[in-house]
Amino acid sequence: MLFEIGRVCLKIAGRDAGKKCIVIDNPGTNTVLIDGETRRRKCNVKHLEPLDKVVSISKNAPPAQVLKAGEELGFKGLVEQKNKKEEKPTAPKKQKAKKQAPAKGAKQQAKPAVSPKKAKEEKAEEEDESAE
Amino acid sequence: MVAGRHKSRTLKRVHKRMPGGSTKLTFQKRKPKSAKCSKCGIELKGIPRLNTAKAKNTAKSKKTVARAYGGVLCANCLRMKLKAQARA
Repeated sequence: MLFEIGRVCLKIAGRDAGKKCIVIDNPGTNTVLIDGETRRRKCNVKHLEPLDKVVSISKNAPPAQVLKAGEELGFKGLVEQKNKKEEKPTAPKKQKAKKQAPAKGAKQQAKPAVSPKKAKEEKAEEEDESAE
Repeated sequence: MVAGRHKSRTLKRVHKRMPGGSTKLTFQKRKPKSAKCSKCGIELKGIPRLNTAKAKNTAKSKKTVARAYGGVLCANCLRMKLKAQARA
């Protein structure tokens, strides 16, 4: 098995070409999970060039372990990858007053008995009568 | 008669149709050639052909590729180079 867990590789293609990485998991035939100087990600085996070294590391090792192993090997520019969920502070959500939908029975009652237009007409008639 | 300064072949001759219906000859600047791989010579992708004046006003990320040896080597040549480095 060439791309076994712990194999040190060089990434050949992509934005992070030329960076070293360690294989953490090999689920599929063509893809492999890597971590190291590159971001923690799935990678095609064709985009990796395996090197001689094999590191003893557990499957799906956390980033801290990979950091240690990488420092021993001489990886440059390693960044501690913190858990993204812990870092982001969530802003307090604004609670809007929910408008409760009235029940069917209540709808009929809510409608005014006399529409506003009719009320205005009635008022106008009354005024005319009083004026006369 | 064509003005003396327009006779240079560094200028491109373009026939333009005017709103009145007539055709006029105009002289325009030529664009620079596209970037080529320094090793194999094929055209590099992702790099626009810009004059220095226009290039000055565009962002750096729009003038290169985000990869090692971005505007210099093509992707295949880069792979061969890295493989040779790893196997040495």
